[in-house]
Amino acid sequence: MLKEEFRTHSSYSGKGRFLTFPLFVFVLASLSGLTIDKMTATVPLSQLGTFAHLSSFLYGLSVGAFGLMGREYLERRYGRSNYLVAMPYLLPISFRTTFLGIYLRDAVFYVVLMVLPATLGLVAVAPFMGFSLVSIGLLFVSVLLAFMLGMSLSFVASVVYIRNVRAFVGLTAVIAALFVGQGAFGLPKLEFIVPSLGFQANVRPFGHDPQIALLFAGASLVLSVGLAVAAYFLVEVRISISSQSYPQALPRYHSRVAWLSGLNRILVAKELVDLRRSGTVAKMFFSFVLPLLFLSFTVWFVNYGLAIPIGFNSVFYAAMVGFVAVLMYSWLNNIDLAEYYSLLPVTVPQLIKVRMLVFLVLTSGVSVFFVVAIALLNGETRLLWLALVVMAVTSVYIVTMTAYLTGLKTNSFLFDTSVLAKFSVMSFLPDVCLTILSFSLSADRVFAFVGIALVLGVLSVSTLILYRGIEAKWGPSSF
Amino acid sequence: MIAHSLHKAGRDHKHVGRFRSTNLDIRCPGIAFSDMAVLHAQDIVKDFGGMRALDRVSLTVQKGDFFGFFGPNGAGKTTLIRVLTGQLAPTSGAIDVLGVDAVKEPLRVKELVGIVPEVESPPTYLTAHEYLYFVGKVRNLDRLEDRIDKWLTFFDLGEKKATICKDMSKGMRQKLMLASAFIHEPALLFLDEPFINLDPIYQRTLREYLEEYISKGGTVFMASHILEIAQRLCNRLSIVNLGKVVAQGDMGELLKGGDTLEKLFMRSVGIGTGRE
Repeated sequence: MLKEEFRTHSSYSGKGRFLTFPLFVFVLASLSGLTIDKMTATVPLSQLGTFAHLSSFLYGLSVGAFGLMGREYLERRYGRSNYLVAMPYLLPISFRTTFLGIYLRDAVFYVVLMVLPATLGLVAVAPFMGFSLVSIGLLFVSVLLAFMLGMSLSFVASVVYIRNVRAFVGLTAVIAALFVGQGAFGLPKLEFIVPSLGFQANVRPFGHDPQIALLFAGASLVLSVGLAVAAYFLVEVRISISSQSYPQALPRYHSRVAWLSGLNRILVAKELVDLRRSGTVAKMFFSFVLPLLFLSFTVWFVNYGLAIPIGFNSVFYAAMVGFVAVLMYSWLNNIDLAEYYSLLPVTVPQLIKVRMLVFLVLTSGVSVFFVVAIALLNGETRLLWLALVVMAVTSVYIVTMTAYLTGLKTNSFLFDTSVLAKFSVMSFLPDVCLTILSFSLSADRVFAFVGIALVLGVLSVSTLILYRGIEAKWGPSSF
Repeated sequence: MIAHSLHKAGRDHKHVGRFRSTNLDIRCPGIAFSDMAVLHAQDIVKDFGGMRALDRVSLTVQKGDFFGFFGPNGAGKTTLIRVLTGQLAPTSGAIDVLGVDAVKEPLRVKELVGIVPEVESPPTYLTAHEYLYFVGKVRNLDRLEDRIDKWLTFFDLGEKKATICKDMSKGMRQKLMLASAFIHEPALLFLDEPFINLDPIYQRTLREYLEEYISKGGTVFMASHILEIAQRLCNRLSIVNLGKVVAQGDMGELLKGGDTLEKLFMRSVGIGTGRE
């Protein structure tokens, strides 16, 4: 399974390029290590540690949702991609075992791909920055625990979703209630929701209470294993042929998008039918709404929970919403295989542009809702107009840039180091600029407005150039 | 010997694209032609990295031909079909399909021809009716509902018209792919293993339809491993091995002396039949 995962990822960009991905992570971690003094001048080390920890937890959450993906692997076994998860059809092995295999595979694969190189990056700069190797080792353990916890939680949640959507909603509500309770009343403590954080807070360089740290580490480990075991027993594979009849939705959707014309109209209608029938809404929930909720919570928590005087405002938030929205485009490319398009007079750039359009239709409402909500919560309705403009421009820019760089294979190409490097620079630079400018809104409004207008102007021109470039870049490629 | 026929057709046709007007029952948008070539490929090379999948393949298909394209697994049949239909760009070589340069205008080629791929892969979440509706809208067809009804009935998919493709059997999906390739009544069909997954009843139905299609002026380019059916249907053929054409010509000429297509195939790819 590890070899299968490696070959899947390296099949698009080549083995060499894929193998440089951990190197990229290594370099990024080294640079972060070298600039740690600058960063801790504005944000305390403990907060940086918490962000790194929760990021790892979130990363684990995103990796562990294969309870959903596993079903698709099974259903696609007659397509061009066949995965070992379908082995139980042919060999005397249970689906549970293969799903456990995926869990272990992903744990090893992504730790080696991301967590380990990041740790080694810090080790590499340790002599220059005076980092203790023991502290780095402990940080690795804590981040690993957070990743495993996120993975296990996501694994069990996705398995529950397959069995019973209501139970899934209930589980999600309980977890959300824990975080809301933490933010609103300080209860339960964050360490009791994410126990691995308790371990991190009590070991060097963040604290020094080995006994408490061990207790939290043990709790985290038990919880991770417990959730994974629960998922193992709850795994249910529903791939039997259904006799369900479906109403003819495509002509209806085709009528509904009458504001479009020509080929785009039928392609958009078909994408909407796919979205509805594939259950991608749940995945959208995982990959778009949850990060937005987390971001909302973080902004709110930092401002009110921790009372850290960082100038988060709705403009900053709007820029973030734009960047998070790109995950949606990635999902649109994962709904179904696109090979049948090669039999029809349709080009890859046409489909890319249609998916960008669908992306905008789908995300606009949710994004506007979140930006308006955060503006109201922060009492910043004065900045709402600017926040909405920032959100719209960054959303369109980020999806155009992603579509230009990755075409119809977003997930795969983002593991290509050269593509990832371009993606990082092209998203990081405007992100940083908008963050700094949004922070300066309270200090020098004119400077901030002019700066934001300039950045948005550059992003708009870039969007236009990239949009036009899609034709030349992806025109010759096949589906 | 077989070698006598190698590349012969490819050399002889210099007037590709100069079609004369004629009345056809099938669809030939903007193109009128008679007894001339509807497909001409010259020295097609296709490399995948360091592997050469097609090595200077040349062939010509005349209007009204039922052209069979045969070869062992991995010989390059599917790759050639994908190259000829504009799905893959060749590394080098020239291709003319119904008067259109397939290298420069692959989209136009896909507008004109019907393609049935080797692996049946209709969209997972559309019903049979919806997929044909989708294809019809993409191809901007008139009388779409009539056409859909006709092909759903022809392939006995009426009962499955509200079933999404994911829930269909392989045979059903194959029928749907055939229907989607026929729905615009193209002048030229590219069929990659069209009989695979079909039950004997529909193998016969399809065979009869294709014979009628040819009699009405259509042309078929078919890759298949089912040599018994191919021998009954094809009037011209090409055998490919390791990316190279090893035999090509009229079926009648190549099978002189009571040979079967199977024997010819085995000889051409260098394997004895064991029954001689």
